[in-house]
Amino acid sequence: MKPCTVSRFGYGVPAFVLGAALGLTAAPAKADDLIVALSTFSEETLVPWAGSGQRKTYLDLVYEYLTYVDPATQETVPGLAQSWSASDDGLNWTFTLREGVTFSNGDSLTSADVAYSIERMIREDSRAGPSSVMRRAIAAVETPDDRTVVVTLNTPDHELAQGYFGASQQLGIVSKSYFDAVGEEAAEANPVGTGPYEFERLVSGSEILMVLRDDMDDGHWRASPEFDRVIFRVVPEESTRVAMLRTGEADIAPIGFDSIPTLRDAGLSIVSAPATWSPVIRFGGLVQTSEDRYNPDAPWAAREVRQALNYAVDKQEIIDALFQGEATIAASDTPVPAWENVAPYPYDPERARELLAEAGYPNGFDITLRSFTTTPGAELPLMAEAVALYWQDIGVNVTIEPIDWPALRSAWTEGRANDYVWTHRGFPFASAANGLEAGFTANSLFASYTTPELEDMIAAFGQEPDADRRTEMFTEIGQHLRDEAAAVFIALANEPYGVSAKVGDWDISTSYIWNFDQVGRAGQ
Amino acid sequence: MLRVIATRMIEASIALLLMSLAIFLFTRLTGDPVALMLGDGATAADRAALAQEMGLDRPLPVQYLEYLGNVLTGDFGMSLTAGGQPALTLVLDRLPASLALAGVALVFTLVLGVLFGVAASVRRNSGVDIAARLIALVGQSVPSFWLGIMLMYVFAVQLGWLPTSGYGRWDHYVLPALTMGLFTLAAVTRLVRSSMLEALGSEYIKLARIKGLSEAVVIWKHALANSLIPVITFMGTFFAVMITGAVIVETVFAWPGIGRLAYESILSRDFPVVQAVVLIITALFIIANLIVDILYVIVDPRMRSKS
Repeated sequence: MKPCTVSRFGYGVPAFVLGAALGLTAAPAKADDLIVALSTFSEETLVPWAGSGQRKTYLDLVYEYLTYVDPATQETVPGLAQSWSASDDGLNWTFTLREGVTFSNGDSLTSADVAYSIERMIREDSRAGPSSVMRRAIAAVETPDDRTVVVTLNTPDHELAQGYFGASQQLGIVSKSYFDAVGEEAAEANPVGTGPYEFERLVSGSEILMVLRDDMDDGHWRASPEFDRVIFRVVPEESTRVAMLRTGEADIAPIGFDSIPTLRDAGLSIVSAPATWSPVIRFGGLVQTSEDRYNPDAPWAAREVRQALNYAVDKQEIIDALFQGEATIAASDTPVPAWENVAPYPYDPERARELLAEAGYPNGFDITLRSFTTTPGAELPLMAEAVALYWQDIGVNVTIEPIDWPALRSAWTEGRANDYVWTHRGFPFASAANGLEAGFTANSLFASYTTPELEDMIAAFGQEPDADRRTEMFTEIGQHLRDEAAAVFIALANEPYGVSAKVGDWDISTSYIWNFDQVGRAGQ
Repeated sequence: MLRVIATRMIEASIALLLMSLAIFLFTRLTGDPVALMLGDGATAADRAALAQEMGLDRPLPVQYLEYLGNVLTGDFGMSLTAGGQPALTLVLDRLPASLALAGVALVFTLVLGVLFGVAASVRRNSGVDIAARLIALVGQSVPSFWLGIMLMYVFAVQLGWLPTSGYGRWDHYVLPALTMGLFTLAAVTRLVRSSMLEALGSEYIKLARIKGLSEAVVIWKHALANSLIPVITFMGTFFAVMITGAVIVETVFAWPGIGRLAYESILSRDFPVVQAVVLIITALFIIANLIVDILYVIVDPRMRSKS
């Protein structure tokens, strides 16, 4: 071979690679676009049933739900369903649809669309989080006329409208006629919904572009968007999202509590979704109603020990130091207003030591605490460190094991009595009944604590049709969880977003419902 | 030459086979995708049903042999999470972005590394030499996630010269390529400097000077040509460092390449995608080393006579 081959080899490869790169360019953002930087696009699939609820951050612009939550009152308000009613036994639900709603392809919303959306959500191949629970619950869906959907359940659910059928869950409504016309594959790649925005483009791992529908001269029934285009960028690293906010490359981005002072100093504002998650420490092996998942020999099987571990932690200090004050002390599990009257455990290390001695552990014991990070929840490992120090103070020796969320979640749901405790983000369900079922009944793989007494209380609550009585019963359950110290309750934490000067009026106030279609422009 | 390539191909097949087994087992050691897909409140029966539907309930040897058989026919399996897309498609979609970034970083590294190395060796102990040695020290000791964030804060946030992150325009390449290349730049600089010093002190350089050749020809043609051999030897390794470093650099700079795909699919325990990414990266590494071997034969006459 001739020597000149060297240079051909040496520069040919990079040149090819550069050429390949130039062919793949995303459209530049326009000055009047709203740019939202998210930590993940999750599965990047575009229909409600094809993945996790994390995709709602962007899909909620396209799909709409039967009911919504009023941010001010937390009441369930009409969405695509104008009204709804349930039979006294909670087994039959009738939804009456709003009139005049159209999909972005021009089709009108009918009961057949809702029935089809439910059917796809509970079909065997559905990958949505609540699909298996919903599949078990739903017996039949009927459409007596174009505007009426009747749902029959196998077990009573008095909160179906705000729970699995509400905007905080995943039952976004798709157009059946569109699926029939173009086929499943095409319809799933190019979604059509009743929301104010239309899906325009997905660049895998990079951006999703949504544009305002052009058939909205008379406005949209729910939202009055002020941005013509919303661009979602996926930026997994939090410091990068913070940098983007500072340079104007992003207008809204979820951030960690740590970054709040930096962003405020740089002249940006912070909008917090209040109490969307509840940092907590869960005990392993306390599912008393399941033989495999109960370990009566664990030190924390004694109530006094669990109470001691609660008394030992100065929660306000953790909130001030780690959560920048963006949290309140949790009295019980799962952030719901009904438990506001339950009194939290005060910080009382002396009482904690007494309780440990009463339980037969005057010199403490060894405990393993597992922790991981998520979004929100980057602070959980630091919280674990802080808790470990407080526990050390009353003689409990803590070994911290860092782990990632998937590994923890797998171990958690294996159906064994886990011999460790772990940090968790809580069960922020819109429906109290769903949250209790998930967290505190043996039927759920995610239960970490339950007793026969608690299961009875939850079952009775599930059957009770009277709303006032339900509120009372729910408060009693919260008080019970607190008194039994079912977990070490730390805080009800907010979820902070950094917001650029381009954004005017915007508030996000409920968990798992995203309203990037209602972001106001500054100066308008 | 053909024998070298043939031997390498056999070695490559064995390496890929071992890698496929290792990655198949390692991905399954901690957690599974079923637990992640289940909604809070799912039951043991739900878990079993989902595992069965995804074929994850069968014995591991059965799963592995089936996987291996499929891979041989080019079928890497379907992604467990991304809407059932073929894992290979996902990887190949993201590959150009990674190759482009690594390519830019490699070119920048080689050009600057050679310049710094030569300058440092010719002007030994001068300011240039000290600067080059400083770059080498910093480049090899600073972790890339920290360097990336620092570069972003200086050049994007403070000075406003470059975008913080993203993908699509030429200026998106600068910071990630710099971050990705600095470690290698340091290594190339050190390699070139030391082998240039050795070459400049050798007899044939003295002869070239006695012959009256200009200093530029002596340095750039005679001394450098021989000093590049160790650089070429390490090029395969440099490439591997860059591609594996891509997991961090692509995550920090929101670059849609296979590094981030690997990170994301590990987080979602999407076994087929993790396996496909690792096998493709292994294959790239093997190809890069094969190219190095061939280049080596071309530039070094001693190798030619041996083969």
